[in-house]
Amino acid sequence: MTPPTLAKGKQITDVQDVVRGFEHLGYITDPALATVIFLGVKLGKPVLLEGHAGLGKTEVGKVLASFLGTRLIRLQCYEGLDVNSAVYEWNYQKQLLAIKIEEATSQSIEEKEKHIFSREFLMERPLLQAIQAEEISPVLLVDEVDRADEAFEAFLLELLSDFQISIPELGTIRARHIPFVILTSNRSRELSDALKRRCLYHWIEYPSLEKELQIVTARLPGIEEELGRQVVSFVQAARKLHLSKAPGVAETLDWAQALMSLGRHTLDANSAEATLGCLSKSVEDAAKIKAAGLEALISEAR
Amino acid sequence: MSKSHGSMAELITSFCRFVRTEGLSAGIKETVDALEVARLIGIDDRELLKTGLRAVLCSSKEEWDRFEELFWLFWREVDRSAKRQPAVHTEQTQEQSKGSAVSLIGTGGSGQEKEEGGRLVLGGSKTDRLKKADFSQVSQDDQADLEKIAAQLLKRMSLRVSRRLKIMTAGKQIDLRRTIRRNIHHGGDLMDLSFKGRKLQQSRMVIVLDISGSMNPYSLFLLRFAYALQKHFKKVNTFLFSTRLSDITTLLRTRDLRQTLRALSHESAGWSGGTQIGESLHEFNQLHARRLLTRDTIFIILSDGWDTGEPEALAAELGAIKARVRKLIWLNPLLGMQEYQPVTRGMSAALPHIDVFAPAHNLESLLELERHLER
Repeated sequence: MTPPTLAKGKQITDVQDVVRGFEHLGYITDPALATVIFLGVKLGKPVLLEGHAGLGKTEVGKVLASFLGTRLIRLQCYEGLDVNSAVYEWNYQKQLLAIKIEEATSQSIEEKEKHIFSREFLMERPLLQAIQAEEISPVLLVDEVDRADEAFEAFLLELLSDFQISIPELGTIRARHIPFVILTSNRSRELSDALKRRCLYHWIEYPSLEKELQIVTARLPGIEEELGRQVVSFVQAARKLHLSKAPGVAETLDWAQALMSLGRHTLDANSAEATLGCLSKSVEDAAKIKAAGLEALISEAR
Repeated sequence: MSKSHGSMAELITSFCRFVRTEGLSAGIKETVDALEVARLIGIDDRELLKTGLRAVLCSSKEEWDRFEELFWLFWREVDRSAKRQPAVHTEQTQEQSKGSAVSLIGTGGSGQEKEEGGRLVLGGSKTDRLKKADFSQVSQDDQADLEKIAAQLLKRMSLRVSRRLKIMTAGKQIDLRRTIRRNIHHGGDLMDLSFKGRKLQQSRMVIVLDISGSMNPYSLFLLRFAYALQKHFKKVNTFLFSTRLSDITTLLRTRDLRQTLRALSHESAGWSGGTQIGESLHEFNQLHARRLLTRDTIFIILSDGWDTGEPEALAAELGAIKARVRKLIWLNPLLGMQEYQPVTRGMSAALPHIDVFAPAHNLESLLELERHLER
């Protein structure tokens, strides 16, 4: 199979290109993630990113599209996602109207049918859009694929093998430029083996203190060093508390931004308590954090 | 040029074979992918190679964690044998490295039992005996065999359950697309309707296991039951309790069940004190019931009913649960004993709220549960 088509003039020669390019766009990678992205782009294989919520999996898709200078097509998965919402649907109302309008004309039934089931009445959803790029390959981001069901996975697997979609009334539509595919999963359920083996697999872990600090500084350039360091240290400590939903990097950034907008230069117990909702998303988690002692967690951070 | 090319292919292929014997799924397709990756990034930078091969050969966090060790095990051996012979005799070097790489393959796997084609073959009478053996009385030697039989039978059972659920497609919804097609010649009036089957709804399951002292071996076995059913129920949430409640749902999503069970049995050994069934169910109702108990949930509790709390409290909590779920199943291993009568205050207070009261002291009784799991 021919590899995906890059934008004109876009050259990616090694993993460092990816690291630098992503950093330039505000996304801090690590060697492993950058390698997987590099391989996915060069070999035209889909990339599966698995990990807990809030660690930047979806971001990878968005940043990749910017990095490659191509369009992002996003499919958000959910339970009950089916062909109609993911691939295509016929515009039933328009079809019924057209039939009524053409009632009086002298065309044959076959001709009317051909018109009713033509492209004019076809509503293209993300997966079909992804294989119809004219010039260069787009990035197809299939987000939270673990929320969809097995039937959808089977369909997705077929699509990722052949990159063609059969519409009974229209025939088979083949991709001229196969898309770069990123799948993300929160691991709320096991994906089928076949799908996982089709992809390059990467597990995104919680970042180290240094890396998280790097991310915060990159995303919030105006933040004071002291505050940034305290916030990151606090969150790193909070992750060890066996919360039902450990805070991800997204939560760290939210919290830092909240404190900044309150005009704080350092972290203190009162501000922490007031803004705790940025970090903990349930009553029990908030209680656990408070039980561990806000003062204690902050002084650990100093 | 082609010689070094050839040896790289040989090394990669040997490595894939090696990880396959260690349990990672590295078939022909994965080997081809691994060769593509190696060709693209080269094999000299070992760290980079590790990252690349890991992306191809692993498909879960557990495999990911193991890969590091396996990778260095193989490639350090390769480097070591390459150093033994200086570069002048390149042909012999390759033979050496191939030889030592191949010898590693023999050490893979931990099979003590004779395996035929990867499946354990036991005598029929032994299988029957093990199915009937009480979990708390299985000898050390039989443990491993029992685990294997349980895994096979439970997997088959969960497949049957899921197949049965799929066949039930009662109910009709109009299929718009087909309907429109059929009615073009009616000028758009929808005279003939086409239907499509109802979307499958899968049940949820909540399992609460008593893990105090004497209940321990039974609970650990029921965990296998829960593990097997995860795949075919929409959601299986599992909890352990003795004096307090512990949510192990995420733990149970592991690939390595045996290790998880070992870890859990270690942890629970530390739990002492009398069982507080009512307390634990109260905690469940406070924290989790709203989220987990729906009209299509099957609730299973495994306990011998020896409660150090008030029987009225236990009955109240159980009643609250019963009101919200489809079926409440209480498994009591003591029922496996012929003389047992549920006369303890705890157990008799609970009885009126229970839909299915069944034993769960051996594999046979667990498999019997199957018929209670359908709609």
